[in-house]
Amino acid sequence: MAPTPREEAFADSLIGRRVPKLDAPDKASGRTRYLHDINVPGQLHAKILRATEVHARIVSIDVEAARRVPGVHAVITAADVPWQRPIGITKDHMPLKADIVRSRRDEIAAVAADTVQAAQEALRLIRVAYEPLPIVTNSAQALGPGAPLLHGEDLRVPGRNGALEVVHKACSDNVSMAYEYGHGDVSQGERESVVVVEDVFWLHYVTHCCMGVSGVIAEFDASGSLLLYSNTQVPFLHKREFAELLGIDPGRIRIIQPPIGGGFGSKLDIYPFEPIAIFLAKITRRPVKLLFTREEEFIASPTRQPVLLKLRSGCDREGRLTFRAVDTIHDNGAYTSWGATTPFVMMQTISSLYRVPHCHYRTRAVYTNNPYAGSFRGYGNLQATFAVEAHMDKLADALGMDALEFRLLNAQDPGESTPQGMHFRSCGFKECLGTAAERSDYAAKRRRNLEHWNDGNPVKRGIGMASMLHVGGGAKMYPSDGCGTIIKLDDFAKVTLITGASEIGQGSETVLALLVCEELGLPIDSVTVVNNDTAITPWDVGVHASRTTFIGGNSAIGAARKAKRKILEIAAPKAGRTPDDLDLRGGHIVLRATGERIQEIGKFLRSLHFSEKAELVMTTYYYEPPSVHLDRNYKGNVSAAYAWATQVAEVEVDTDTGIVRLLKITAAHDVGRVLNRLGIEGQIEGGIVMGQGYALSEDLLVEDGVIRNPNFRDYKLVTAPEIPEMDVSFIETMDGEGPQGAKGVGEAPAICIAAAVANAIYNATGTRIYALPFTPEKVYRALRGSNMPPKWPADAA
Amino acid sequence: MAELRNYAAPRSLAEALQVLASGPATVLAGGTDLMPQSRSARVRFASTLLNIQGVAELRGVRRRDGAVEIGALTTIATLRDDPAVRNGAPVLWQACDHFASDQIRNAATIGGNICNASPAGDTLVPLLVLDASVVLASGGAAGILERRLPLSEFLTGPGRTARRPDELLVEVHIPVPASGWVDRYVKFGTRPALDISTIALAVGGTLLDGRLENARLALGAVAPTAIRAHDAERVLAEGPLDRARIDRVVDAADATIHPISDVRASDWYRRELVHNLLRRMLTDVCPN
Amino acid sequence: MSALIEIEFRLNGISRRVSVPLQMSALEMLRDMMGQHGTKYGCGEGECGACTISVDHRTVNSCLKFAVDCDGRDIQTIEGLAATPFGETLNRAMVEHGAVQCGFCTPGIMMQAQQVLTDNPDASRAQIQRGLEGNLCRCTGYRKILDAIEAAAHPSPAVD
Repeated sequence: MAPTPREEAFADSLIGRRVPKLDAPDKASGRTRYLHDINVPGQLHAKILRATEVHARIVSIDVEAARRVPGVHAVITAADVPWQRPIGITKDHMPLKADIVRSRRDEIAAVAADTVQAAQEALRLIRVAYEPLPIVTNSAQALGPGAPLLHGEDLRVPGRNGALEVVHKACSDNVSMAYEYGHGDVSQGERESVVVVEDVFWLHYVTHCCMGVSGVIAEFDASGSLLLYSNTQVPFLHKREFAELLGIDPGRIRIIQPPIGGGFGSKLDIYPFEPIAIFLAKITRRPVKLLFTREEEFIASPTRQPVLLKLRSGCDREGRLTFRAVDTIHDNGAYTSWGATTPFVMMQTISSLYRVPHCHYRTRAVYTNNPYAGSFRGYGNLQATFAVEAHMDKLADALGMDALEFRLLNAQDPGESTPQGMHFRSCGFKECLGTAAERSDYAAKRRRNLEHWNDGNPVKRGIGMASMLHVGGGAKMYPSDGCGTIIKLDDFAKVTLITGASEIGQGSETVLALLVCEELGLPIDSVTVVNNDTAITPWDVGVHASRTTFIGGNSAIGAARKAKRKILEIAAPKAGRTPDDLDLRGGHIVLRATGERIQEIGKFLRSLHFSEKAELVMTTYYYEPPSVHLDRNYKGNVSAAYAWATQVAEVEVDTDTGIVRLLKITAAHDVGRVLNRLGIEGQIEGGIVMGQGYALSEDLLVEDGVIRNPNFRDYKLVTAPEIPEMDVSFIETMDGEGPQGAKGVGEAPAICIAAAVANAIYNATGTRIYALPFTPEKVYRALRGSNMPPKWPADAA
Repeated sequence: MAELRNYAAPRSLAEALQVLASGPATVLAGGTDLMPQSRSARVRFASTLLNIQGVAELRGVRRRDGAVEIGALTTIATLRDDPAVRNGAPVLWQACDHFASDQIRNAATIGGNICNASPAGDTLVPLLVLDASVVLASGGAAGILERRLPLSEFLTGPGRTARRPDELLVEVHIPVPASGWVDRYVKFGTRPALDISTIALAVGGTLLDGRLENARLALGAVAPTAIRAHDAERVLAEGPLDRARIDRVVDAADATIHPISDVRASDWYRRELVHNLLRRMLTDVCPN
Repeated sequence: MSALIEIEFRLNGISRRVSVPLQMSALEMLRDMMGQHGTKYGCGEGECGACTISVDHRTVNSCLKFAVDCDGRDIQTIEGLAATPFGETLNRAMVEHGAVQCGFCTPGIMMQAQQVLTDNPDASRAQIQRGLEGNLCRCTGYRKILDAIEAAAHPSPAVD
C-alpha cells in the first residue's frame, strides 16, 4: 500500500536517523583547511624557548646572537613585554617567565622569523643561565613540612595606571585551591554500617593527544584590532580574557576558529603560546603563526588531572549505602588551570552516583613542579568513578550480595533529587544497569570466571561493571550557561544557521542542522552552518560539560520555531487558515492534520520577499537552561538534565606477562533521545576507546618533573587492531527539557571504562589494583604481590 | 647533526662503494630510522648523504645453494609477502609481520634494520636463530671486495656494528634449515605491531625424539645487542626437553642476559618475561 | 644553509621539478612547496600515519621520507586519490559510515585504506585492522572507519 500523504510527511523526520557529518566529504578528501594549513600573506613563524630546568631562578638570558640570525624579526623575553599580564584561572601564570621557572615547559623567550628554520636556529643561540632551586616532585611532598613554596610571593604586575598591583597572592602552603563539601553526618553513616571499606587510589597522568597539534595565528590591523585564528573551544570567554591580557577593548578582538584537529577539553584555557604569538605580532606588526611540534604538544599542553584519592564507604545489612568520605590531593602542577576545578564534577559523583545518605568530600589542589593539569573529557569523573565503582564491588562482595542487585538497590529513580541538589527529571539509571547486565550476561559470566582462578591456565577471563552520572544539560559554572542562534532563510528555502556553539569534531554542526530541519521541514542539505567567527556568531559559553547538543540544540530549535511561526502566521490568512492549522514538512507548508501540501516553502519565501510588504525570515534566539549556579556549599541543580550509563568490560589477563586485553564493552547509555544515530554512535565508540587507553595503555611518565615519553612511540594510544567488540544500547528517557528529548553525552562514554576494567581484572584474577593504568608490568607486579599500592601521605592528614 | 652538504644517488653498487671509498658518508636506505635521527641532536652523521635506493641489484630475495639470500634493500613488506620467507623462515616472517606498521614496512629495509643495530631491532632475533650472516662489500671501480660475517659478530653494541666506514651491507645470507627444523618467535609488546619490543625471543632447532638438536636461542632487548644464548643452547642440546631441562634452559638464559630499565620496562620485569615466555615457548615446541 | 638538490617526480600524475634542501622531508616538501595540505603533520616520527602518501604505489610516512628520495618516483597524495573513482567510493563510504569526526587523521587513513584494499580486495575485518595499525585516530574509536573500509571493499547499493 502506498503511504498516505500524512505518513509520507512524517517519514521524513530526521530524528534518530543516520545523518552523515556535514563537513565529512571535505575532510576525507583533504580539502579542509585546518589552522595548520592556513598561511596568511606576510606571516612570520614563531618558536618558543622552554626551560631546561624543572625549578630554577633565571640568572640571565642572552639573546644577542639569536637576534643576529638572518630572517629573525624579533626575539622577546619577559623584559620586552613589561606590560604582560597573567593567564590561568587564578592568574598565577605569566606567559613569559621573568625570574623563576617552575616546570620544564616554562616559556623563557620567543622568536618570530621568516621561516621555521630561522626561528629554530635563533632558539639554539639563546643562552640562559639558571640557578637551580629545590623541586617538588609530587603532591604529597608539596604538603610536607619544609616543602619549597612554588608561589610563595605575591605576583605583581603593572596595572592600568602603571603602578604595580597584586594579581596573585602569595601561597604559603602550596595549596592552590581547596574544596569541602558535605551532606548528612558521616559518623552516623559509619555507625549504621555493617561493612566499611577504605582504600587509596592513584589516577595517573594522561594527555589529550589531539591529532592536530596546538597552534595560533595572530594579526593586528592598522588600527590595533586583533584577529586570532585559534582552536579555542570557548571563543567568547577567551575574547574577554585576551582583551584583559592586552589591555584593549574586547570589541577589538575577533576570533576565527578554523576546523580543529581534536579538542577533548584541551582548548578550554588560554596557554602561554597564545599571548606570546600575540606579543610577537604586536611587536613585529606582522601576522605571526605558531605551531607546536608533537614533542612540544606532549610537554606543553595540559594533562588530565592526576589525583591521589582516599575513599571510605559503607553499607548496611540490607545493602544500602550508608556513607562516603573522600579526601583527594590533586597534583596541580606548576600553575593553576582547569584541572584544579575538577572537584566540581568529582563531588557530584561522590555525592550522587547511587543514593548516598551521608557524604563528606575534601580536595586540595597543590602546586608541584610537574606539568600542569587542564580539563579533559570527563573532567574528574573518570577519577571519581574509578574509586566509587571499585567500592561498589567490594561492598557487595563483602556483604555476599550480587553486585548487580547491590547496585540496583542503591540506584536512583526518575524524579529523585540528591542531597547535593541535583534533580533527576529523567533518569534511566536502572535501565542502564539492567540492559548492560543482560546483554553481557554479566551475572553468569562473573560467577563462572571465579571457578578458573586456580585452574592452572595462565590466561584468565574477567567481567566487570561500572556506571556513571554526568551532567547532560549543561553545567552552570558561570552565571549564564546560554547559547545564541541566528537563523535566516533565503528565497530558495536555504537556511543559514549561525550558532555560538563551536564545532570541535564532535558533530555539533550536523546535529544542530538536523534539529533546525526537523522544525522547518527541510532536508539536511538545505542548511549552511556558520559557527566559527566571533564577529558573526552570537554569544555562547563554550564547548564543555557535554552541553552543546543540549544548550546549542535548544537554542537552534528556539530560533527555528520562531522562523516557522513567522512563516505560518503570514501564510495562514492567505490559505484561509489559522497558523495552528498549518505545519512545515517535506519542504512545503502543509495542513497539519492531513499533510496536504499548500505551498512550497521556497516559493512562499520568494513571494514574501517580492511582495509589497516585503519581509525576510530572520530570527534570533537565546536559550538559557533552567539550572542554577552552585551555592556556597556547592549545592544546587547545576544542570538541566543528567546522563547515565552502565558499561560492562570483559577482559583477558595473561598472568605470565600481565598483559590485559579488552575483549568487549557492553554499554547502555541514557541519552534522553537519539538525534543523529551516526553521530552519537561515533561519540560513544570514540569515548569507549579513549577510556580503554586511559585504563590500559596511556601513561604520561613524569619523573622529577620531566616527561619521559613525549612521543607516540612510548605514549601508547589505542590502535585499530586493539579495539574491543562494542555493544552499545541507547536508553531513551525523553528528557522533558532536552532538545527533542535528548541529553548531552559527549563525555559519558569515556568515564567508566577504567572502573569496569578494574572490576573485570579482579574478577579474572582475584587481584585488585588501585593505581592506573593497567600496563603489563604494573599488572604483573600486582599479581605477584610486588606492587606498592598507593599510600596516603602522613603529612596530608 | 652535522649539516648534510653533499648528495650522491648512485645507480650501481660499484658507484656506491666508490662514494664510500672517497670519504665518510651517511647511508640512506629506507630512511625510517635515519630521518628521526637526523632531526634529533643525538646521532652524529657524515656530511655526505649517500642514497642507495637506486642500486637495484641490492633488492630481492633469491634462493641459492641451500641458502636464502636477501638483498639489503629488500623492504620488510617484500619479505613478509615472500613465500620463500614465509615457508622457509617462519620466524623471520613473523618478525616482519609484527614490524612497526604497514607504512614503515613498505619503506624500511632489512639492511637498515640490521645496520641500525638496535638491541630491540625486530629482525635481529629471528636472523640470529636462523644463523644468518651478512655480506659486506667495499672497493669501487677497481673491483669489489666482499666479506661475510655471522650476524652475531656483526652486532657489536647498541647502534654499533662491525661495518667499516667504506663498507656497505649488501646481502643477508640465511642457510636453509635442515628438515625437521622447528622454530618459534615471540615479540612482547602491548600492541600487535606498532611497538618497540619489551623483549623478543626466538628458538629453533631440529626436533628429534623429544630433543631439540642443533638448537639456537636468541633474545632481543635484554642486552646491548640482540644476542644468542649459547649456554642455554648447550643445555638444550644435552637431552630431552622435559620440565627439568626447560628450567635449566631458563636459568642459563637468565644468566646470559643483562636487561636495563627504561621507559618501557624495568630490568626485573624483562627477566620475568624472559622466564615465563621462554618456558611457554619451549613447552610449545615440545608439548611433552 | 643546506645544499639544494633538484629533483623531478610525478605528483598525482603531473610531472614536477623542484629544488629541495637535503634535510627536508617529503612531508615538508609536499605541504610547504607544493600546496598538498591534505597530507598532515601528526608526529614527524612515523608513529601516527597522518602524513601517509603513496610512493610508487606503496604507502609510506612522508615525514620519514627524505624529499630528495622522491626523485624519479610516482607520488600520490590524498588530493590525487580523492580525484579517482576509487577515492570517491572510499570518500562516500567514510562519510556515510560516520568514519570522520575531527577528520585530521582521515586523509592518511584514506591513503592507507586504498593500500589495504589494493593489496587484498577481499581483506577481512582483521586484515583491515592490521592494515591500519600505523594510523592513529583519537576521535572515532576506529569501528566506523573499519565499517567504511569494509563497505568500500564490498559496495552495497544502499546504506540505511
